[in-house]
Amino acid sequence: MTEIPLTHVLILSSLLFIIGFVGVVVRKNTLFMLMSLEVMLNAVGVAFIGAGSVWQEADGQIMFMLVLTLAAAEIAVGLALLIRMQRRYRTLNIDVLNQMKG
Amino acid sequence: MNPVENIVEVTVFTAEMFVVLSPILFLSFGIVLALLLIAWQRSQKMIAVFSQVILVFTLLLSIHLLSGNILSGEGVQITTLLKVDQFSYLSLSLLCLSALAVVSLSGQALKSQIEVHDEYYLLILLVTLGAAILVASDHFASMFLGFELLSISLVGLVGYFREHKYAVEAGFKYLILSATASSFMLLGIAFIYSQTGNLSFAVNSAAMSWSPVPLQLFNSVGILLFFSGIAFKLSLAPFHFWAPDVYEGAPTPITLLMATVSKVAMFTVLIKCCFSQGYYNNEYFIDVIIIVALLSMFVGNTLALKQQNIKRLIAYSSIAHFGYLLIILLISSEQSIDFAWQSALFYLSAYILANISIFTIVLAYEKQLSQNGQERDVRIDDWQSMFWHRRTEAVLLVVSILSLAGIPLTMGFIGKFYLLNQAVISQSWWLVSGLVIGSGIGLAYYLPIIFTVFKPSEKNMLKSHHPKGVLVARPRIFITLLIIISFYLGVFPDSFSQYIM
Repeated sequence: MTEIPLTHVLILSSLLFIIGFVGVVVRKNTLFMLMSLEVMLNAVGVAFIGAGSVWQEADGQIMFMLVLTLAAAEIAVGLALLIRMQRRYRTLNIDVLNQMKG
Repeated sequence: MNPVENIVEVTVFTAEMFVVLSPILFLSFGIVLALLLIAWQRSQKMIAVFSQVILVFTLLLSIHLLSGNILSGEGVQITTLLKVDQFSYLSLSLLCLSALAVVSLSGQALKSQIEVHDEYYLLILLVTLGAAILVASDHFASMFLGFELLSISLVGLVGYFREHKYAVEAGFKYLILSATASSFMLLGIAFIYSQTGNLSFAVNSAAMSWSPVPLQLFNSVGILLFFSGIAFKLSLAPFHFWAPDVYEGAPTPITLLMATVSKVAMFTVLIKCCFSQGYYNNEYFIDVIIIVALLSMFVGNTLALKQQNIKRLIAYSSIAHFGYLLIILLISSEQSIDFAWQSALFYLSAYILANISIFTIVLAYEKQLSQNGQERDVRIDDWQSMFWHRRTEAVLLVVSILSLAGIPLTMGFIGKFYLLNQAVISQSWWLVSGLVIGSGIGLAYYLPIIFTVFKPSEKNMLKSHHPKGVLVARPRIFITLLIIISFYLGVFPDSFSQYIM
């Protein structure tokens, strides 16, 4: 098996990260914004695992597990907020959340 | 746990480490006890008193350890994850102090609701624990855990009053903001890790010059991403979207919690990381810091000019204050690290004290408004002629506003002086002029508040805004105490700065 260079892994993860970030910024539906956040976190996971395998250490994989835990916790809170939003505004469109101005 | 692991832990974890770590251990133990207490009996009064007791003990413990001679010089390394030195104790005390203020001030804000609010206090304790881990961390993993504990608990608190008009909006905005911040930070950490091969702060990334050029690029990008993640949390200028909205929409005690605990912890860990990684040698990084600092000073101060809502005004002014604080990161050599820490902690103490004071008064007025049947935020106009009706509060307000503005004989002035000194030592004239001009613009929104406070009341104004004797004894003692502390530390800053050294 040929080894994959670290640069390629990092570039892949940067691309994934940018896709996720663009999703967060551009998407109007809050559910998709949360999903894009997941993409960003998984991109980080790719980078950690790639780096960990280059250094032959478990640190990268452990960080990935922590990232997964974070993603789960964040989505739990996010979905709870989403349910509140759906009940209150009857829509998941982010545009209803702009009442504060000043 | 198998016996082999046990042996390893015993050898690694000495009694000294237990003592050094005791404030954090006590805090976590207290949280577990609080959970059990909730399981046993749901009573808001009990949990409020209990969390206050925990915070007071944690505060006393950390002050005791700070004044004791356990920590000489370098600080104590506890496994690879944590490192506690006197500066971490000092910021821990500041954090506990502000959390204590938040818990004490929360009572009346919660009173308007019918339910029992156990979770509220529990979440505040968790935020404090996250902040405590942050200030003690010496490793990216522990820093990340503290960061997330802090952020996710704060998201819950920001959207806590679910029936409130802005609860969902503020909560969701804060969630997106902090999730984006943590993914930026994590990607930065991943890039740094891919170059250094070590997640500990102590590894000097500048020494990693062996790697080929494209990989060094990743290292710089990593540092930049890491910094921007933290800048999101500190709401520094190009990353400040939505931060004022979140401040406005959150329950007022939680706004105080965000303005103090979260920011102080984030800033402490930023200093800790930058100093031990030696980023101050990296010219590229320094340029970024200077740009972000100047932008924050400018944007924060200019946008605060036309704010009428106090919470928004504080949000913008805190952007500017953390812009000033970034000056600390530009130290010239390793010898000045101690002095930089002192300046940072002094400035942060002044900032915390002023914010606690202002929010005490905001909460008192908010309560007044809600008794009059108006559920809205306090605006500057509401404070008109405060001096002629509620004198103690007016004095406190004036002192803390002056401190934020940096007028002599207040703590804020000494703090600014420290920062100016730093900027001059590091010869960054851009930042010196930024600080001076920023403070000048700052006066344009701080002074009108004071004018409003002293303005005589108009005839058509409702007297009920400022009824006498509305304050019960406890807040009045609290307010008087705050006034005395602010005056004392403003006039005799040495008494405090000696303590830092």
